[in-house]
Amino acid sequence: MPLKAVVADYGVGNLYSIRRSLEMCGVEVKVVTDMRELLDAECIVLPGVGAFDKCMERLKPVREDLVAKMESGTPTLGICIGAQLMFGGSDEGQEPGIGMYPGRVRKLPCRVTPHMGWNTVESDDPLMDGITDRSFYFVHSYFGDASDASIVRGTTEYEGKDFPTFFRRCNTYGTQFHPEKSSASGRRFLENFIRFAEGCL
Amino acid sequence: MLAKRIIPCLDVKDGKVVKGINFKGLRDVGYPPELAAEYERQGADEITFLDITASLEARDTMLKIVSETASSLFVPLTVGGGIRTAEDMRNALNAGADKVSVNSAAVSNPGIISECASDFGSQCVVVAIDGKRVGDHWEVFTHGGTKPTGIDAVEWAQRAQDLGAGEILLTSMDADGVKTGYDIPLTAAVADAVDIPVIASGGCGSKEHIYEVFAQTGASAALAASIFHYNEYTVGQVKEYLRDMGVNVR
Repeated sequence: MPLKAVVADYGVGNLYSIRRSLEMCGVEVKVVTDMRELLDAECIVLPGVGAFDKCMERLKPVREDLVAKMESGTPTLGICIGAQLMFGGSDEGQEPGIGMYPGRVRKLPCRVTPHMGWNTVESDDPLMDGITDRSFYFVHSYFGDASDASIVRGTTEYEGKDFPTFFRRCNTYGTQFHPEKSSASGRRFLENFIRFAEGCL
Repeated sequence: MLAKRIIPCLDVKDGKVVKGINFKGLRDVGYPPELAAEYERQGADEITFLDITASLEARDTMLKIVSETASSLFVPLTVGGGIRTAEDMRNALNAGADKVSVNSAAVSNPGIISECASDFGSQCVVVAIDGKRVGDHWEVFTHGGTKPTGIDAVEWAQRAQDLGAGEILLTSMDADGVKTGYDIPLTAAVADAVDIPVIASGGCGSKEHIYEVFAQTGASAALAASIFHYNEYTVGQVKEYLRDMGVNVR
């Protein structure tokens, strides 16, 4: 039985790559616009396109149920904005976030933003197993400023500073990078996540 | 550390790649999705399609090509050429493009930049600027470099940033097609003036040219066409050279 992942469609941006990438890993993908459907998912994916408030508009009615579901152990992956949504709030918007990760999303204190392109993730998390080239594709101007260091699973250096770019609390992973845009390294990362998610069931 | 990006650019007309490309082992050398995938295998950091189709009817063909490419490509894809409205941009993004570049339309209607940035996010709005030296500065030209605008290229880049552009694709009209290297002064001037990434374009004839533009300017990425298309070097060979020269590449 293939893993069934439910991907949230916030109504902005294309979900082509994430859908294709998951399908290539053998996952049965369902894209939903009604966020209540996330609450029945065996695996949740919050994809990486959109602005904070636009995404939260859709997620707001289910945010408390979503946290309860994630805390109960449902394997979840948030990508880029999908990872930022996990925090309590963001300087990019007014809406509160989902509140799964302690901390707040802040503007990158760097000269050139967006931080755009391929950069390295320093991590010893098992989801990085077998990935020799730790370069992943980034495009973001904000970062998750975690108030609990134990949720930070990886960091990335940019303009001389290290930023948290990889998170985990319960079985909920968040990546500031885009595995679905990160060629072979990204594909391996997603395969590792899928194997992890299957192990959670 | 953020790596410098190498971006092969494909000119696409009526759904086919225009310039003669000579790769071994490809079924159809003129088929954009397959070429894009080959460049990904070689280590390209992103792919850019430039739609040089003149007719409106052929736009649908381009969108079909974009979606076919997006379904098998796992590095970012930028689509440019002929983007006139926010609707054109939406169509390209919905077809699977990650970023869309806008050129002439942004000059005649700068509001399209802010409109697209607020609808789709700055990260997918690339403003393409064609600059040409006129006296002691660089002037913006539109419509494939044929129409002078009287606008200063450096100031235009700053304005595009203020309006919400996420990136500048900067082409030197003086250097384009000559293959004697990127326009270093123009690229340096624009990269110093803005706080968004700048892609250098126009004039690349060798791997040394790519090194020069990274060593001497603040460009974040280099776009090149013919040196890759004519098999002079693979993307991997260029990166190996850059790495030896101390440039951080993936």
